[in-house]
Amino acid sequence: MNAIETNGLTKIYSSAFGKKQVQALVDLQLSVPAGTIFGLLGPNGAGKTTLVKLLLAITYPTFGNATILGEDISSYKIKKRVGYLPENHKYPPYLSGGEVLNFFGRLSGLDGKYINKKIDALLDTMKLLKWKKTKVKNYSKGMMQRLGLAQALINDPELIFLDEPTDGVDPIGRKEIRDILVELKKQSKTIFLNSHLLSEVELITDRVGILNKGKLLREGTVQELTEKKEEYLLRVEDENKTLPENFDGVLITKIDSGRYSLKVPNAAALNKYIDLLRENQVIINEIIKHKNSLEEMFISLINESEKENVK
Amino acid sequence: MKNVAIVSWYTLKEAMARKVFIFFAAISILVVIFTAVILGVTNTQSIMTGLPGKNNLPDIGFIISRLEVMIISPLAGLGLLLAIFASSSFIPVMLEKGNIDLLLSKPVSRSQLLWGKYLGGILVMFLNIALLIIGVWLSISIKFSYWSFTFLWGILVITFTFAVLYALIVLFGVITKSSMPGMMFAYLIFLILSPLLKLAHYEMRILISNDFWKSAADAAYYILPKTSELMGTIILKLASGETITDYQPVWSSFLFLTAMMGIGNYVFNKKDF
Repeated sequence: MNAIETNGLTKIYSSAFGKKQVQALVDLQLSVPAGTIFGLLGPNGAGKTTLVKLLLAITYPTFGNATILGEDISSYKIKKRVGYLPENHKYPPYLSGGEVLNFFGRLSGLDGKYINKKIDALLDTMKLLKWKKTKVKNYSKGMMQRLGLAQALINDPELIFLDEPTDGVDPIGRKEIRDILVELKKQSKTIFLNSHLLSEVELITDRVGILNKGKLLREGTVQELTEKKEEYLLRVEDENKTLPENFDGVLITKIDSGRYSLKVPNAAALNKYIDLLRENQVIINEIIKHKNSLEEMFISLINESEKENVK
Repeated sequence: MKNVAIVSWYTLKEAMARKVFIFFAAISILVVIFTAVILGVTNTQSIMTGLPGKNNLPDIGFIISRLEVMIISPLAGLGLLLAIFASSSFIPVMLEKGNIDLLLSKPVSRSQLLWGKYLGGILVMFLNIALLIIGVWLSISIKFSYWSFTFLWGILVITFTFAVLYALIVLFGVITKSSMPGMMFAYLIFLILSPLLKLAHYEMRILISNDFWKSAADAAYYILPKTSELMGTIILKLASGETITDYQPVWSSFLFLTAMMGIGNYVFNKKDF
């Protein structure tokens, strides 16, 4: 089952008299399987936050439709099963951390006894228990972020939207938040993560989508996106051995002693080349598909997309 | 309904966090204490024996109702001005980025949010005015041993007057996401337009010779809320126990309130955040 499904979702923002129009999201088709962590990446203004706002009916679509947890996004009651941590969230400064969670817990339809237990448990997990009665106006940025995460989890949601959850959090805090997210995934929760921190996304997400100027450029597992289809890394035993070159379209480049990069037109050509190496008594220690980092792939994809737009 | 009550309750907390309402409550308490002390040292027997028809209870009632209105009227006016000032930011603060996103991500309808904020604001005003009126009424009633409950209707009338102006503030808040336009327009109606239009419609009607301007003044009079009459004639009549014969200021103001909240609710439900 898909936790999120969009069908031709489009959002166009118009100025006061419709003179200027901005396409924030264009004909988006996206499916996020339940029980996974999905990372949405994109530069500023790509439409990431717009997508989350559309899914939560904070903003309305111009065209298309979407469902979350099997129900149409126009139903506000579905939000009982959803948690959300927006970017730059604000809480009433006159409330304490405990009161903030109480307020949002009650708005989520929870009863008093359950909320009180849940508040203590969440504040404990977020290392905020001793600040429970402190007014949030005295919280640091990192504390606010952890309180925000607690708020998003107060109703024990099945689907959690997190917009830059580690923003302003120190490295140790980030690691703790990542661990919490992994723990939530183990509990079969679906997490939709908007983040600029590609290395973090790479560490915890199952699937990734890349959005630019409202268009979904690519979507898949981190492995699928970072894999260079026809490029391999070869390591051989004898570092001084010269490898055969110019073979049937295979391009061989020496990286360092014993390590080579192979660019092949297809898998058959690669296999033929391996046969040739064996015939030449070359002992192969390792042959692996070459991978980009997510960051490299992201930058190259966005650059390509920008070039396309210029054309 | 539960969601409306939750939002209202937290609006009450928000109001309490703003010192304006506490300031008004403190003034109300001071006025009640002051009234009780002044009446305590006053020989009311001499006042009552000095009245024409001294054994006639309605005359005592007349004096008492005037005394009550004399104390309450300026304070209720001040209370309304302060309440308009303090409550004008309830909606714009709710609509701030980062705040409205969170609220709309919860299983609460937009209408429930708006009504919760609206009723919360009214609840604050009701509590403040009730404190003032009940306090003054108790001080006077105990001293004179004369209990006229009709004066207590003033709590509802003043709260209603605020509710009408607050509906306007809510509408402007939803449209502009700012507190200033609604607050300014509410002050304009309460302090200038309503008293002027009342004069133009009744006392000074004869002075308007041009038919067009007469019709324009009448139209404005019927469309805009009659805060001047609600806070003046109607409270005075209720305090004196007189029968109110003309309910037009009440129902036309109520229609204004309904229109403001109706449009506000429609706009809020259609708006992107």
